[in-house]
Amino acid sequence: MSSPPAGLEGPLWRSIAVFRFASLGYVCLLVLRDADRYAHPLAAGAVLLGMLAWSGVTAAGYARPANRRWPLLLADLGVVLVVLAVSPWVVGRAALAAGVPTLAVVWLAGPVLAWAVSGGRRRGAVAALALGAADLASRGRIGPSSLTGVILLLLAGVIVGHVARLAVTAEERLHRAVQLEAATRERERLARGIHDSVLQVLALVQRRGAHLDGEAGELARLAGEQEAALRALISGVDPVPAADAAGGTLDLRALLGRYASAAVSVSAPATPVPLPARVARELAAATGAALDNVRRHADGRAWVLVEDEGKTVTVSVRDAGPGIGEGRLAEAARQGRLGMSQSIRGRIADLGGEVRIVSAPGEGTEVELVVPREDG
Amino acid sequence: MSGVRVMVVDDHPMWREGVARDLTEAGHTVVATSGEGRQAVRVAAAARPDVVVLDLQLPDISGVEVIRGLRAVLPEVRVLMLSASGEQQGVLDAVKAGATGYLMKSAAPAEFLDAVRRTAAGEPVFTPGLAGLVLGEYRRLAVAGEGGARPGRDDAAPRLTERETEVLRLVAKGLSYRQIAERLGLSHRTVQNHVQNTLGKLQLHNRVELTRYAIERGLDD
Repeated sequence: MSSPPAGLEGPLWRSIAVFRFASLGYVCLLVLRDADRYAHPLAAGAVLLGMLAWSGVTAAGYARPANRRWPLLLADLGVVLVVLAVSPWVVGRAALAAGVPTLAVVWLAGPVLAWAVSGGRRRGAVAALALGAADLASRGRIGPSSLTGVILLLLAGVIVGHVARLAVTAEERLHRAVQLEAATRERERLARGIHDSVLQVLALVQRRGAHLDGEAGELARLAGEQEAALRALISGVDPVPAADAAGGTLDLRALLGRYASAAVSVSAPATPVPLPARVARELAAATGAALDNVRRHADGRAWVLVEDEGKTVTVSVRDAGPGIGEGRLAEAARQGRLGMSQSIRGRIADLGGEVRIVSAPGEGTEVELVVPREDG
Repeated sequence: MSGVRVMVVDDHPMWREGVARDLTEAGHTVVATSGEGRQAVRVAAAARPDVVVLDLQLPDISGVEVIRGLRAVLPEVRVLMLSASGEQQGVLDAVKAGATGYLMKSAAPAEFLDAVRRTAAGEPVFTPGLAGLVLGEYRRLAVAGEGGARPGRDDAAPRLTERETEVLRLVAKGLSYRQIAERLGLSHRTVQNHVQNTLGKLQLHNRVELTRYAIERGLDD
């Protein structure tokens, strides 16, 4: 498992260390109170010193992410098991049976928390069950209060494990978001740079060479095409827009902006033209089909106009081709020359819209795609 | 017609020189060049150009601020915007601030020189893209006006006549004024006037809005 930079996890480990020392203080108070009832009071002092030493070892050990692995985790569990195992001898069976607590008391929750933070709620539960069972075994007598202790231990393991996983996931997401933001900033910076230098030079090359013949003119034309392509790339609208998560809407301008080139002018409002994602994609595809037609039957030069009329959205595609007379439109459609029966008319009809074609000899052909907006 | 007095404002030196050379060769006078907006406004007051060829992206202040500054020192100056990227909102804002022409930098030199001549003569120079923006802006204002409508007030949303809408749509679809005149059976001059009116109303509305804003903020006393 990849370990994210120590951010949210660090404080969790530190709080476990704090918990160990605090709970050890509580254990000391209980030992002082009950020492006169112990079978071996001096041994109790030795065990307490051991627990203090181990609290220090784990606090230092877990502070380093590289140590939060099985060797230390298992040793942690083992030390607490040893404390539980010696408890009957130190405290004495009789005292335990009379209700004197074991030497571990709440200190035994330390490994449970460590396991939970290192591996999630399942690991926390395993540690809690193991220590709970050992605790019950050391007491020799199972009462309601000792059972409650085990259940609380189990709850602590599960909940802390769950929260720790949430923290790690949140941290990973944050990390990704930060990376994404950095990438976006970098793109914006590049866009500014490209605008300030490359675009200007390309436009200049195109401008100075536009009237030249032969290769120089060709170079100028190519520079112009690249200028248009680059401009479309950095013009701020996302070249591959994702559906707006809020309502699944897309800005039609972003989809149609991709058709803009030296030969195709795309005119649109300055404000977004939101449409349901499906409608926007179909309308853009129909527009693309109309532009394909222009490339096949006219010189490829085309003008696209996007208009948002509120209840409807209209996309017009005009070319500067030879145009067709009124009577020949139907004939052309029959011959499949308009090529739009399916790819255009079908799409727009599915959206509940209509296709209007205006053409006259010498005036080019104009295709208007009108679709209703469904939202009310 | 004698040459036009032109000022070129662009932060790219190569571009500035290229444009200035084209203008000079065509018989116009380049009275000043500048690479910054604030400097351009200062210089314009002394150089008194007829037309300012303005790149919308300048290092110091926005194109809109440059246009406001220019019109404050030279109320009669005409502004022809050039931009390398089709920065839509910026172009629209500049038109509302008083620019009367817009051209992409990729336009051919002949097209550019024609645009300078027409701008000097007071004709609006529209690209299809600008026509689309202006159409969209009128619709936006109409929709916004429906909310807090104050009919009869001079700050009510401006509206296009049917003819103006028709003309603008044809401009947006790439037809020249001549083609539009033919198609609608109008004179070339009438088509031009319609286009000019669409800009004029937008600019007037913008000025009224700015004044109202200033009064509300108590900046006019």
